[in-house]
Amino acid sequence: MSTPGPERVPSTVKVGKTTGQGKPPAGGPGASRPAANRPGGKGGAKGKGRKPVTPVKVSGGRNWGPIAVTGAVILVAAGIIGWGVIASVQGSKPWEEQVAAIDGVVDYRAQKNAAIDDRTHKEGPQTYVTNPPVGGAHNSTWQNCMGDVYTEPIANEHAVHSLEHGAVWVTYKQGLDAAQVEKLQAKVEGKEYTLMSPIANLDKNVSVQVWGYQLKVDSADDSRIDDFIRITRVKASMEPGAACSSGNTTSDPVPAAAASAGATG
Amino acid sequence: MISEVQPSASGASTDAPEAGGTRTFGYVAVATLLVGLILGLGAGLVVPGLRTPGTDSVEAGFLRDMSTHHAQAVEMAMIAHTGSDTPDIITLSADIATTQQGQIGYMQAWLRDWDLSPTGTAEPMAWIPGSDGAIVNGLMPGMATPEQMAALRSATGKNLDIQFLTLMRAHHVGGVHMAQEAMDLSDNEDVDWLAESMVTAQQGEIQLIDSLLKKAQAS
Repeated sequence: MSTPGPERVPSTVKVGKTTGQGKPPAGGPGASRPAANRPGGKGGAKGKGRKPVTPVKVSGGRNWGPIAVTGAVILVAAGIIGWGVIASVQGSKPWEEQVAAIDGVVDYRAQKNAAIDDRTHKEGPQTYVTNPPVGGAHNSTWQNCMGDVYTEPIANEHAVHSLEHGAVWVTYKQGLDAAQVEKLQAKVEGKEYTLMSPIANLDKNVSVQVWGYQLKVDSADDSRIDDFIRITRVKASMEPGAACSSGNTTSDPVPAAAASAGATG
Repeated sequence: MISEVQPSASGASTDAPEAGGTRTFGYVAVATLLVGLILGLGAGLVVPGLRTPGTDSVEAGFLRDMSTHHAQAVEMAMIAHTGSDTPDIITLSADIATTQQGQIGYMQAWLRDWDLSPTGTAEPMAWIPGSDGAIVNGLMPGMATPEQMAALRSATGKNLDIQFLTLMRAHHVGGVHMAQEAMDLSDNEDVDWLAESMVTAQQGEIQLIDSLLKKAQAS
C-alpha cells in the first residue's frame, strides 16, 4: 500500500506543474489523500460491503431481483442468438434467390421454357428465344471463357455452351463507347468463367447472362453488373467442375450441320 | 442445470449466515452458467465462421486465387498436350493438366464445405500482406497475358514446346510463391497439406522443365 502512494504523488506533481500550480507538495498531499483513501475504501467495500448491500436487495423483493436479472440476461442472450440465426440464414441465402433479387434480372429458369432448358448438343446454327441467348441446345464445343475478351461477335452456339459450364457472358451493343467497353473488360480480365463479346442487334447497351438468368442495363457503370457477376459466376454452372479452357477461341460462326446430322441431334 | 446447481447454492447458504446474499449469488451463478452455455452453443451452431474459415480468410483467398491460377495452367497444358509432337512434353502437360484440375476440385469442394462462394470480391492475392500492385490487368504473378496465350495457341513444333515450357516455368514460380504464402499464413491442416504438395511438385517440375528447355533449345 505504501508504494502506490508515492507513485501517485509524482504524477500529480507533474499535473500540478502543467496547470501552473507552484508547489508540488501542496498538490501532492491533496491528491495522495484521496488516492490513499480509495484503495482503502475499495478494500472495505469488498470485505464489509456485502452486508449492507445484499440485505437491501433481499428486503426489496426477495426472489424478484435475481429473477429479473436472470431473465434480462437470458433475454439479451436470446436476442443475440436470434440475430445470429437471422444473419446466418440471410448470408447463406441460395445464389438463385440472391440473383433473382437484383432489380431487373429476368429469371428464365423459373419459366420452365423447354427451348431454354434444352441442354443437348446440336450441329449447325441454332435459333434462340432470347437475345442474347441464356440457354438452349448448343454446339459441342464451348467458347473459351477464361476471362477472354472477344472484340467481334461470337457464335451463340458456342457461348451458350460456356453458360452451361458456369461462365458469365458479358455482352454489349456493338459500337458501344470505348470507355464503356474498357470498364466491362476490367470486370472479366483474369477471371476464369467469364467471357465478353459485342452483339450487333442488342436492345440495351449491356447485357450480362448466365444459364437461365439475364440482366440488361444501359451503362457499364451500373453496379448491378458487378452484383450479377459476383453472385452467379461458377455457381450458375449446370455441370460443376466443367472447364472454361480448351474451348473455341475464334469469332467464326458455327459451320452448317451435315445434311444427315440434323435428325440425330 | 438448475437442479444441479441449486443444491450447491443452498449448501453454501448453510456455511454463510447471510442466506439472502448467497442465494442471490447462487441465482447469478446459475444465470451466468446458463447464459454462457446458451451463448456458447448458439454461437457454435449459428456461426460457421467459428468452425471453418470465413469468406475473408487467408484460406478462402488462397483457394479461390489458386483455383484461378491453376485454371490457366490447365489451359496452357491442354494446348501443349494437343499441339506438341514431343513425347516428353505430351506427358508433362497431361500430368500438369490432370493434377491441377484435380486440385481445383479439392479447393472448390472445400469452399463449398465451408458454405463460401467459389469466387470472391477481393482483389486477387489480397489475402497476402503487402501484395498491392502484384496484380496486372487482373493477372496474378506468373500468369500469361492474353497475347502470350494467343501466341501459344498459334505456335507449332519446337516453337510451341519452348513457349509452353517458358510460360509454364514462370507460372510454376508464381504458383510456388503463392502456395508458400498460404503455408506461412494459414494453420488450416487441409490447406497447408495441399499447398505443401503444390510447392514440392511444382518445384520438382521446374527442374524437369529446365532440362526439357535445354533439350528443346538444343534440337
